[in-house]
Order: sequence, then structure tokens, then C-alpha cells
Amino acid sequence: MMRMPIRLMAHLVAGYPTDAIALAAAKGLVEGGVAYLEIQLPFSDPSADGKAIQSACAHTLARNYKLSDGFGFITRLHAAYPSVPLFIMTYGNLAFRLGIDEFVRRAQAAGASGLIIPDLPFDTDEGLAQACLRYGLTSVPVAAPSMTDTRLAQLKNTHPQFIYAALRAGITGKSTDIDQGTLDFLGRLGSSSKILGGFGIREGTQAQALAPHVHAVVAGSVFVELISSHAAAGADAVRLAVRRKVEELRAIT
Amino acid sequence: MSDQTSDQTSDQGYFDRFGGCYVAEVLRRPLEELTIAFNQAVADPGFIEELAQLGRDFIGRPTPLLYAANASREIGGAQIYIKMEGLAHTGAHKINNALAQALLAKRMGKTRIIAETGAGQHGLATAAACARLNLSCTVYMGEEDVRRQQPNVAGMELFGATVVSVDSGSKTLKDAINEAMRDWASSFADTHYIIGSALGPAPYPDMVRTFQAVIGKETDVQISERGLEVEALIACVGGGSNAIGFFAPFIRRDRPRLIGVEAGGRGSGVGQHAVRMTSAAAGDGIIHGYKSRFLVDEDGQVAPTHSISAGLDYPGIGPQLAALGESGRIEFTSATDEEALDAMRFFARHEGVVFALESAHGGAAALRIARGLPPDKVVVVNMSGRGDKDIFITSPIFRPVQWKEFLKAELHRLEAHMDTLVDMVVDSKDSSKVLGGAI
Repeated sequence: MMRMPIRLMAHLVAGYPTDAIALAAAKGLVEGGVAYLEIQLPFSDPSADGKAIQSACAHTLARNYKLSDGFGFITRLHAAYPSVPLFIMTYGNLAFRLGIDEFVRRAQAAGASGLIIPDLPFDTDEGLAQACLRYGLTSVPVAAPSMTDTRLAQLKNTHPQFIYAALRAGITGKSTDIDQGTLDFLGRLGSSSKILGGFGIREGTQAQALAPHVHAVVAGSVFVELISSHAAAGADAVRLAVRRKVEELRAIT
Repeated sequence: MSDQTSDQTSDQGYFDRFGGCYVAEVLRRPLEELTIAFNQAVADPGFIEELAQLGRDFIGRPTPLLYAANASREIGGAQIYIKMEGLAHTGAHKINNALAQALLAKRMGKTRIIAETGAGQHGLATAAACARLNLSCTVYMGEEDVRRQQPNVAGMELFGATVVSVDSGSKTLKDAINEAMRDWASSFADTHYIIGSALGPAPYPDMVRTFQAVIGKETDVQISERGLEVEALIACVGGGSNAIGFFAPFIRRDRPRLIGVEAGGRGSGVGQHAVRMTSAAAGDGIIHGYKSRFLVDEDGQVAPTHSISAGLDYPGIGPQLAALGESGRIEFTSATDEEALDAMRFFARHEGVVFALESAHGGAAALRIARGLPPDKVVVVNMSGRGDKDIFITSPIFRPVQWKEFLKAELHRLEAHMDTLVDMVVDSKDSSKVLGGAI
């Protein structure tokens, strides 16, 4: 049976474990055919992330990685792969501290297409969505199955181009079942925004089960773990391992 | 309860520009449900009555107001009174909030409690409350704090709680909060998260202040009964739960002066202190679900902190305290590690009262402020906790030689009997199983 390769958004921690390895991982992701890259700018207290991503962020910060290094990393990625849309994922305090407007301006200058900041919810986003409008970026709100209908309606009323659907009532890094509850939630999200669906996607079967119900499948922890386990073997080993995983998730093996 | 504190309640979760509810979307619903349940509970006389009864019989309320006659004479300034909150069950004010939230959780039908803890006092209080109310309890505690607060870890485990040592980040309170928030994001259906300080996303700052306001209300009654006209109320401020509870009934009055005391640590450099309100290194931030003043670096990464007291080294401060600090209603000062140790010794020697190291920061400021006032003035310091738990920190400083000999002898004794002791641990676990099965 022929299947269309699925659309994938892959997550990377900027500069983890080194710039060279992280760039090699990005190369593997792009070679594997990801549709979007989600680049996380490391924050000291990433309370919405699981252990793997938290450790990667801590590791990167421990080598004195600055916000400007993160923007530099994104600039290099965008120069290398100008046709792959880049979304910056981070936490509110990094944007708030620099100033929301200035943060968005620098994101745009680095070549990012959008921002995902889970602790700046759509109704208390400190002006993030407005700043994104000013600079031609898209602000991607996060939705979760625990949302009430009222709150979900308020979110949809802001007419976001994308919605990041956090499919498990929890944090990144745990496995996801594509159960009826998940399908019901995706149904509630409707079709007016492009749905980026993820949290806990690790295997091709999961990605393929989810793909028909979303615009793109998001995978994060699985790549961070692959990078961690292959880093010692060098940049090329990381690139190949990451590419194979993308191909598995996209069902083109 | 609610009518007396309602005028200090936040405006939709905000205290001026601080506060709010900056959490991942998944936590919005449990926070909304908590807000509703809290508002209903404090309006329910049955809940208030049950809480008051437990306060009396289990916590030991009211805690006394002690006239520190000797200390006052020694200082030669204002008369010092000590609100003896450290006499509360489990040794600190933390039990007021932990017990009330545990009772609220039961009312909401939750069966499991999670909590973060720094010094271990909130964890200990939560574990005790859960044992009393038949709730399962997991406490997240930074590895660094587990190391320096073993007596509290032992206490929590004795109450039946599971203590999870958190080895991420700085391995202290802030990392324990991250871990507890992660747990809650996937467990809120049956689990309530008891935050121990007057911070975090709304409704926690309002809720914790309301449950800690019992300290201030009692103090208000006690000073009126004695006809005292108080010049200043003084309390240490980590996250700020004892301070905001102590100050609560007085916030809307012009007097007395309200003075918060932060941890001055061992210097003004980065990582040497935890001064959020008066330090140039602190600024506005959004961390752990709320907006307040935080110690962060130029990028907004949380900066390292230090205090000799595990309960005062948190990089942020409760949003209402930050707002009241900026409005000027609360004055902020700090006390160093050294001053806190001196104050602990001073009150022990002159009053027979041992302040916890956290509370001793308030004690140090009280001595300083009293010195600058005439003898017809009165200041009240909140001894939020008692210092028994700090013996592993204070003994190496106060009596290093004897302490070393003691620890060596204890270690010898332990090693000589290790096999028997380990067998006893296994036996006691077996017997509890048998007992459980028989019941």
C-alpha cells in the first residue's frame, strides 16, 4: 500500500551538545525531509519540558551559551536551509527580559517564521502576538486537551495561523496513544488553523496514526535522545541517525 | 475568613503589575478548578470550622506572643515581642497552609498530594497533614536541600511521604518546583499540588496568604489584648508566605511599619545572596507561572543564589510582596548569614528561644531596628520557625570540634551495627505489610 510521506516538525535544542553536532543534526533532519524545524532556545527552568530536553538545555547553558548564540545558530540554519520554516520555541522570561518587541525583531532578523512560548498563553502573552504581527512572524499558541470549550473558543477567536496541540495531558518525552480522547480533542480544534500535533511521538506507527488528523506531526524528545546517544560517535553519526528516524516517522523507509 | 481578607485579594490574579497565571495551557484547567473550589471553601462555614478545629487540636493554635524582656533590656531600644509561630506543629508556619490546602484537596475529591520543598519545612508540614487526612503524598526536594536538611527528610518519610530528590538545575527549591509542575501536568485529575509559598500562578498567592493570615490575625488580637501600639512588624522573606500572612490584616492600615527581611548571604556578588527587592541585580521576570522580581542574568536565565538558610535562597519573591514593596507599604531590608547566626545565638542565650535560620534573619533585623528606636516603642518579629532542624548547619559553626567527634562516633556505631540495622529495616517493612493485610 502506498502512503504519502507525512509532514513532520522536528525539534532541536540550539547548540546542543555543540554547535557542530547540532548543525549536523539539523542537516540530518532536513535530508530526511522535515517540513518545519522547531528550535528551542535553552532556558534555565524549562518546566514544560521533560527530562531529555531539560538536560539538553542545562548542558548547553553550562557551556556559557547565550541568547545571542541561540539567535546566531538560527541565523546559520536559515542561511543553510532557507526553504525550511524555522519556529523558535522558548520560555517567556527570555523574551520578557529582552523586551517582547526586541525579541521578536531579533527572531525575525535571524530568519525565524514563528514563535512558540508555552508559558505566555494566548490571553496573557505580554503582547507577543501583536509584536509578531508587526514583524511578519506567526505566534503559535499551545492548546491542550484539558482546555474547556469556552477557553478553546477564545483561543480560536484569535484566528491563529497555527495551533500547537499538546496531545498528552503532561509533558514532552512520554509515549502517546492516538486514542479517542485525542481524536475528540483534535476535532474540537477544528480546521481553521494548521494543527501542529505532538508530545511524545517516538515511532513511525504513532506518527502515521496521528498524521491524517493534523497539519504536521511534531517530534522532539526522540531527536534529542538520538543526538545524546550518538554525539560521542561524531557529527556524521548524529546526522545519519537523525535522518533515519525522520524517514521512519515519515514512513518513507 | 474571606470577608476579612478580601480587600487584599488580587485583581484577577494581579497585584499591580505582578502575579498572573503564566502556565502551560495544560495547567489552566486545574488552576481554574482550584480557584473555584478555594473561593467556595472559604465561604463555607463548615470548612472554616473544620480548619479552625484542626488548627487548635493538631497545629496548636493560637501560637503565643512572647515579650522578649531580656533581649529588649540587652538592646536598650524598643521593646521586642516574638510571635512564636515556630511552636506550631512540625516546627514552622508552613503547616497552616499545608493543612488548609490538604483539606481543600479532600473537598475537591483529590486522593494524592504533591509538594515542593526547600528547607524541608513545607514538605514536612505537607507530609504531616497528608498523614492526618489520609492522603497519599509525594514531596519534591532539590538534591542539595536533601543533603543539608536530612532531619526533615527523615520526618517526611516517617509520615509516610515519598521524598523525590531532584538532581536537575541548581538542585534546590526552584528545581523542585519545576519537577512538581511536571508531575501535576500529567496527574491533576486525582492530584492537588500544594505550593508552600505565596507565589506561583494564580490562585496560589491569594490562597496561601489567606491560609497564612491566621498568623497576623492572632497577632492583631494579642497586641490589642495587651494594649500595645506596635511600631513595626518584622518577618523574613524567602518566597514570603510567613511575611504576607503575618502582615495581611495590617496591609490596608497606615501603621504599623511592615518590614520584610531578605537573605543577604555572604556578599553582594552574583550567587552570594537572595536579595530580590533591593539588589540592583534583580529585575522583573516571568518564571514558575507568575510575574514578579527575580534574580536573573542579562539573558533572563535564573541566577544562582546563596543563603545559609535553605528556605530563603529562592530566586523569586511572592508577587503581592513585590507589589507592596514597590508601593512602599512594605519596607525591605536584608540580613547576612553572619547576622542571622548571631541573632539565633542571641535569642537562644537571652530568651531560651531558638529561631530557625530563616526566621533568624527577621530576628537580626528586629535587633537592628529596635536599637534605633526609643524604649517606649514596640516591634514584633515573627519567628516563623524554630531552629531544631538546623543543628547540622549550626553545630559545625558553633562547636566544630565536638560536633566532629560526635559524628565520627555515630558513624562508628552505625557501621558496627549496619547488618543488624538493615535487617530491621526489612523486618519493619514486612510487618507493616502483614498488618496492612490483616486489616
